Amino acid sequence: MVWRRTLLVAVVLCGLALLGLLGQHFRAQAYDPLKSPQLEALKRQLLLEPKNEQLKTDIRQLDLVLRQQHFRHQAWTQFGTWFLVVGTVVLVLAAKSLAHLHARLPTPQTRADDTERALATAHQARRWAVGVGIVTGGAFLLLAVPSKTRLPATPGELERLLAQLRGEVIEAVDLPTAAEFAANWPRFLGPTGNAFASNATPPLKFDLASGEGVLWRTPLSVPGFNSPIIWSNRVYLSGGDATNRSVFCFDLATGDPVWQRTVANVPGSPTKPLDIPESTGFAASTMATDGQRVYVMFANGDLAAFTLDGGPLWVRNLGTPHNHYGHAISLATWQNRVIVQFDHGEADENISKLLALDGASGRVAWEKPRAFGSSWASPAVAEAAGKPQILTLAGEWAVAYLATDGSELWRAGVLHGEIAPSPIFIASYALIPSPADTLYAVRPDGSGDVTKTHVAWKTDEGIPDITTPVSNGELAFTVLTHGIVTCHDLRDGAPLWEHECDVDINATPAIAGDRLYLLGTKGTVIVMAVAREARELARFDLGEGMFASPAFAHGVMVIRTVKSLIGVGNPPAATLEASRS
Amino acid sequence: MPDVPSSTPPPVNRRQFLRDGTRLAAMTGLGALLGLAATRTSTARGYVWQIDPARCVYCGNCATACVLKPSAVKCVQSYPICGYCDLCTGYFVPEPNGLNTGAENQVCPTAAIERVFIEDPYYEYNIDEDLCIGCAKCVEGCTRFGNGSFYLQVRHDRCLNCNECSIARVCAGDAFRRVPLTDPYVIKTTAHE
Amino acid sequence: MRLLRRIIALVLVAAWWSSGVSAWAELRFPPPEFETDYVMGGVTTPPPRALPFEYVDVAVLVGALGLGVWLVHRRRSRRGLVALSLFSLLYFGFYRQGCICAIGAPQNVAYGLFQPGYTIPLTALAFFVIPLVFALFAGRTFCAAVCPHGALQDLVLVKPVKVPLWLEQGLGTLPYIFLGAGILFAATGAGFVICRYDPFVPLFRLTGSLFILSLGGLFVVTSMFVGRPYCRFLCPYGALLRLSSLVSRWRVRITPDYCTQCRLCEHSCPFGAIREPVAPPAHPSALAPDRRRLGRWLAALPVLILAGGWLGSWLSVPASRLHPSVALVEQYLDPTKPEPVPGAPTPEIRALGRAELEAPELVTTAAAVRRQFTKGGWWFGGWVGLVIGARLISLSLRSTRKDFEPDRGACYACGRCYLACPNERVRRGLISPAEAAGLNANRPAATTTAPNRS
Repeated sequence: MVWRRTLLVAVVLCGLALLGLLGQHFRAQAYDPLKSPQLEALKRQLLLEPKNEQLKTDIRQLDLVLRQQHFRHQAWTQFGTWFLVVGTVVLVLAAKSLAHLHARLPTPQTRADDTERALATAHQARRWAVGVGIVTGGAFLLLAVPSKTRLPATPGELERLLAQLRGEVIEAVDLPTAAEFAANWPRFLGPTGNAFASNATPPLKFDLASGEGVLWRTPLSVPGFNSPIIWSNRVYLSGGDATNRSVFCFDLATGDPVWQRTVANVPGSPTKPLDIPESTGFAASTMATDGQRVYVMFANGDLAAFTLDGGPLWVRNLGTPHNHYGHAISLATWQNRVIVQFDHGEADENISKLLALDGASGRVAWEKPRAFGSSWASPAVAEAAGKPQILTLAGEWAVAYLATDGSELWRAGVLHGEIAPSPIFIASYALIPSPADTLYAVRPDGSGDVTKTHVAWKTDEGIPDITTPVSNGELAFTVLTHGIVTCHDLRDGAPLWEHECDVDINATPAIAGDRLYLLGTKGTVIVMAVAREARELARFDLGEGMFASPAFAHGVMVIRTVKSLIGVGNPPAATLEASRS
Repeated sequence: MPDVPSSTPPPVNRRQFLRDGTRLAAMTGLGALLGLAATRTSTARGYVWQIDPARCVYCGNCATACVLKPSAVKCVQSYPICGYCDLCTGYFVPEPNGLNTGAENQVCPTAAIERVFIEDPYYEYNIDEDLCIGCAKCVEGCTRFGNGSFYLQVRHDRCLNCNECSIARVCAGDAFRRVPLTDPYVIKTTAHE
Repeated sequence: MRLLRRIIALVLVAAWWSSGVSAWAELRFPPPEFETDYVMGGVTTPPPRALPFEYVDVAVLVGALGLGVWLVHRRRSRRGLVALSLFSLLYFGFYRQGCICAIGAPQNVAYGLFQPGYTIPLTALAFFVIPLVFALFAGRTFCAAVCPHGALQDLVLVKPVKVPLWLEQGLGTLPYIFLGAGILFAATGAGFVICRYDPFVPLFRLTGSLFILSLGGLFVVTSMFVGRPYCRFLCPYGALLRLSSLVSRWRVRITPDYCTQCRLCEHSCPFGAIREPVAPPAHPSALAPDRRRLGRWLAALPVLILAGGWLGSWLSVPASRLHPSVALVEQYLDPTKPEPVPGAPTPEIRALGRAELEAPELVTTAAAVRRQFTKGGWWFGGWVGLVIGARLISLSLRSTRKDFEPDRGACYACGRCYLACPNERVRRGLISPAEAAGLNANRPAATTTAPNRS
């Protein structure tokens, strides 16, 4: 009887201990004293009221209580476990004793034929063994059939995935053709990077008041000096200030807003507003597109990619630019990569770099450190001398890199001052402006330092300090900030003519067919003939100041003014007429 | 069938022979295994589990995944690396209310870090391993913003050295390694040390 | 914005992670030059259990095995074996807390053979080989009283129910399959599943996850009513010991003398290991259907192996997910992977952040593991086919037996049957030969003639 009672007590005690332990466990799962939301809330409150002494006292008291809870819980669990162990030992001993006392002695009986039974047993056992086999095989299938994998099975597919992950793959099928690229305006200064739209035929005169030559006008709500870009039937541009930075997409035909995305809360982005002068602003860098995605960069170092339909792809902060005027270098693309010339700080800080990022993932494909300080000139990306080249200007050097891997091709030490005008590739030259000083035409087929060997010509007539020289392959035009336009013969740089516009011009002009469009900061538009002699074709006031270069594609010229975005073009019927004539 | 066993031992029958042969083969097999192992026993002293601090991502699994409660993983302090900062980013929460030992300022949930004044402006930080639960909160703060003198290590006076470490299985940084028993810690050193 | 936020957090993690790496090289805050006589502390490095102690474990193992052999075969003492079990339970179980044990050791061997960079520790090798060598000579003495898992199950046994022999034999393939799986996962470096799902080690440690502790509790409760459920139906090392003891030099004999066919011993075995006598068939013609069946199964064996291998190769995708790298890569390549939120990232998000940075290496590793699993899946599946086929063949073999004797493979050498035998009791002087004869007299047929039930 004593064993029976012992057993009963042991069972009850073990059950209680078990319940207690399970209770502890589930309580700890539901509520961990070390992760108390109450304490978190109090701590958040303290951030808002740092001087609240009562709050501090509360936090300290709660913290003590919580830590005591935590350690008490541990102690109780340990005690309960040992209690359960001892209880189980007693339980087993009691049960064994009881079983021993109640054991029934075996009384073997004569059984039927053993051979038969052995055969029956074997038969039954075989069935079970087959059953185990079937269940195991079934389990294999059940596990295998629905399981999907994204890990490539064949070596070829694996290699492709690896190359993609390393950012080596150029997805040629997805890339737009050269013709598509040329038909759009995918980056600052257009597909060729020299602001030359050979087939564009915008109207000679357009007027917002009468609507003559104006297809549409859409007001812009946020500031930004970047130029619009065009892909297919969409116009993209960015805008923003210290607090809010966004990307905008408009319809090319109607000017209607299509989508708008804000780039915010980027990890690593400076939390305190940067001190950037309004004359540059936070959105001076022109966007770029590779025909699949659009890329945008802001002066706080945020770089983001969106699909053409506004789907966010990736965003990252490249680091806060140390730039007293604000970061203004435009983006460029090469194949499926976005090229970022991230020059900032001083030359001896060694923080500048040139990056090529995989457009789809934002992963860095290659990165080259640059021993230069801040620059404001955008890189020129083009096929030159048989190689895809990226030409950058900063400090004293124009440096060309191979777009595929970022290796340096050549460099020319021809610059000084604060570099704002960008280089262009045109005909067989790279035109490199040293601001307000000299324009160099460098043959881009050299290697190493080509300063002494590859300069084809240079000129010091009418060299701009802000705008970029533009060229149609025959003539090159330079525009000074106070409105003096100079035309050079591209073959030798000889100045052919000079023309006084008498308006301030900050925007790089653009060549549309045989006309040069100059956009003034006060709203004056001047159209000049692209010819060997100076001829002003038109001059009129648009009424809204302009700092951005125009974009041309699909029969529309897009102008960004300080207030609005304007689509200029001939009405559809007129376009037909124009193309016929 | 005789009801008394015959006094002469039964001759070695076919089954017995088979058995002896198999046993011999099994012994040979085990011997071969031993031999194979012997060719590679240069470090066969055994292994223990350890964390490579360079790979740690301070995910906090060490505190929860260990079979031991509290975990055998503790934070250690490498004094030669420590900057003895007044504003210790391993000790204090981001934006601390004050640089004192008040609970509202401490990042450690169990107050396992002891802050001792040495001389102006330096403070020493010591870990009380009995209180530490290996949550890596301080490690994250110290490594991200400080010198990284706090880092996690498996403490072998506590570790059971499981055949399969249950933290290693879930380690987010793939930082757990089997290291030789003779060199059981991965101690951080500075470049110039 | 889901995607955007995910990317934000990924970048965040990546930045944190890389900042951790860069902290290696240089110090942000130079260590101070102290003006006071402050003495800098060092990093304490409490050593792990010293190697000699590991060798002590091996010595204890050998000693316990030797003692076990003596107790089983010479001393024939159940009481001694109980005492030894208790010692093993306390030493290998509660003192050594389970690692390393012989049950997990096959994985270390497989891991050491297939994974470069890991050499099998001598202790692990000793724990793997020594019980097998003992089993090759003296049967499963390791199971009897040295294995803490077996000892625990054996000691808590209260009132065993009889598991039908056909069920036991039919399910007897499970340990081999578990062993195959354990070796597959160890050889591919995916993990030690035998250790992971060991129900008793958490009990020895008195700590573990709720799942594994519940599993352990379930096994303990089951062990009270079913003799050694883990040993019989799961233990992968037991499968090796079973094979070894099939060819053992010495075997457990119930009677020291001769069997009087009293059938008293049959009931004493809680593990159903005692086989009754089976007479050879009266006419050889009765064997014909058996022979045909045996022939069929022999012919089916290669088919079973191939089919198993083919099915096993399919396992490579789900099974390789047990490997942390493969699991991470699958998650990383999944476009619907969990979406991080700004704030403190979860371990999962941190792992994905690492995957982002190490993607090419990680994918290469994962692909290599997947290939190993495809190959290993063939081997594992083939092994399962072989095990099932061999079991079917052995079940198609007719065995004849004159006396009650323990099955060589199934006997755990626990010694319970010894004292059930009247002849053993006579040998020990517990009862007189006359009393034994009286016992046998209950069954008149048995005393005069051999039990003849054919």
